[in-house]
Amino acid sequence: MTAHFVHLLDELRRKSLRMASLVEDVLQEACEAVFDHDDALARRVVARDEDVDNEEVEVETEVIRLLALYQPVGSDLRLLCTVLKVNNDLERIADCAVNIAERASHLDHEFAKTQESDIRGLATAVRQILRQAIQAYATEDEDQAKSVLVKDDAVDALYGQFVRAVIPQTVEAPESVAQFLDVLSVAKNLERIADHATNIAEDVVFLASGKIVRHVATEDIVPTRPPADA
Amino acid sequence: MVKLMTPEVRPTTANSAGTFTVSVAPKEGSDAAHQVVASPVIEARDVTICYGGTLAVRSVSLRIPERQVTAIIGPSGCGKSTLLRAINRMNDFIPSMSITGSLLFNGTDVYGAKTDPVELRSRIGMVFQKPNPFPKSIFRNVAWGAKINGYRGHIEELVEKSLRQAALWGEVKDKLHDSAYALSGGQQQRLCIARAIALSPEVLLMDEPCSALDPIATAKIEDLIDQLKSRFTVVLVTHNMQQAARVSDRTAFMYMGELIEYDATDLIFTKPKQQRTQDYITGRFG
Repeated sequence: MTAHFVHLLDELRRKSLRMASLVEDVLQEACEAVFDHDDALARRVVARDEDVDNEEVEVETEVIRLLALYQPVGSDLRLLCTVLKVNNDLERIADCAVNIAERASHLDHEFAKTQESDIRGLATAVRQILRQAIQAYATEDEDQAKSVLVKDDAVDALYGQFVRAVIPQTVEAPESVAQFLDVLSVAKNLERIADHATNIAEDVVFLASGKIVRHVATEDIVPTRPPADA
Repeated sequence: MVKLMTPEVRPTTANSAGTFTVSVAPKEGSDAAHQVVASPVIEARDVTICYGGTLAVRSVSLRIPERQVTAIIGPSGCGKSTLLRAINRMNDFIPSMSITGSLLFNGTDVYGAKTDPVELRSRIGMVFQKPNPFPKSIFRNVAWGAKINGYRGHIEELVEKSLRQAALWGEVKDKLHDSAYALSGGQQQRLCIARAIALSPEVLLMDEPCSALDPIATAKIEDLIDQLKSRFTVVLVTHNMQQAARVSDRTAFMYMGELIEYDATDLIFTKPKQQRTQDYITGRFG
């Protein structure tokens, strides 16, 4: 029975990582839809959200089944709790990607080009952070997870910088307020994705160490910050 | 089985050794179980127990806190029952048994020359795997021990109080003079607990008390253990890890006679420090 349970846990872990990979793809396509002004790709992102939703339900059902049937403890219990929480964050990331893709259809292409450089910078940082969080999850690497927490602060700073830059432009060009709101919405959803990636990283710390670091200041979790490019 | 030959029954809260004051039982959800056991009721110091040439318990040191439930878990043959039975000298009946190190009860050496094992067993009661009521009525099962120990109070009140504390009164109050053998297995086990607590022991040792019971009877015993810990120190040996997780404040994991890890139960079952503990609780042993 134990070998069977270990096999089921491995299966669940694979399923959760497959979903993570799907969500990464969806985010990438959502960003491309914005930058390439690709309506078809935007529609594809919206359609793929249903796949993510189905996978989310499937993973959650399996976690509940394993909890009920095997009453795991120790690292097995931590794994199931983590899978359940990561599952929720992945689904929310896909929702944010859908929001971004929906903005792609509304964006005025000429207007979007004026903001493209900043949004690209933010999108790249967010995709990197998500990649790193998922890698940490796949390898249960506590150190890598902690470095994600540090990078989220940088994403927050980029987002704040972007918003501060946009506000005076709206005053100067009030006729483009609707366009500015679309761009701000894209930035906001990217920033939210970084928050979800951070949640995943925090869950990986719990998975690896049993420590709940959710409401702990980053400085207390990672006392010595790695270099900015780490 | 608890020998019942002490001259009087002490009040439940008495600390006969008088070595430290009685502390308040930890509230549910408190950090008491996480704290280092400063004033243990029972303390093993480097205890080694052999049966002839076979080493059963190897250099075990642990401190069992007052009015908490301490579970001892581990695979068959790991020495957990041997350690439990050493606490009230039940192993004395095994001729080949030898013990080294110190086992202290309220600071007094359990195996000291001045310790009367019969008196000790009235202060450290025991409940066994299989219910073992006397072939007497329900009433006499509870009253008998107190009587032969010279109890001079109102015996009916003592029986009722003990049966109430064992959560059995409601089920037997109208048939107190029926044979104890007419009770179900779960009721018989609670009767044995009532019989043990009628002597107002300070510690209750339980050696797999639910292993012969169905899930409903087990749940009743577990509820009872939870209630008993406000008045008694409970040490529980169990094969059922979920039971240890449900009812105990602290858990000791033993393997091949050694104490591998001893900590607050929630830590043992969520983030054990030792790999062998982790392997055992997750069923990956061997």
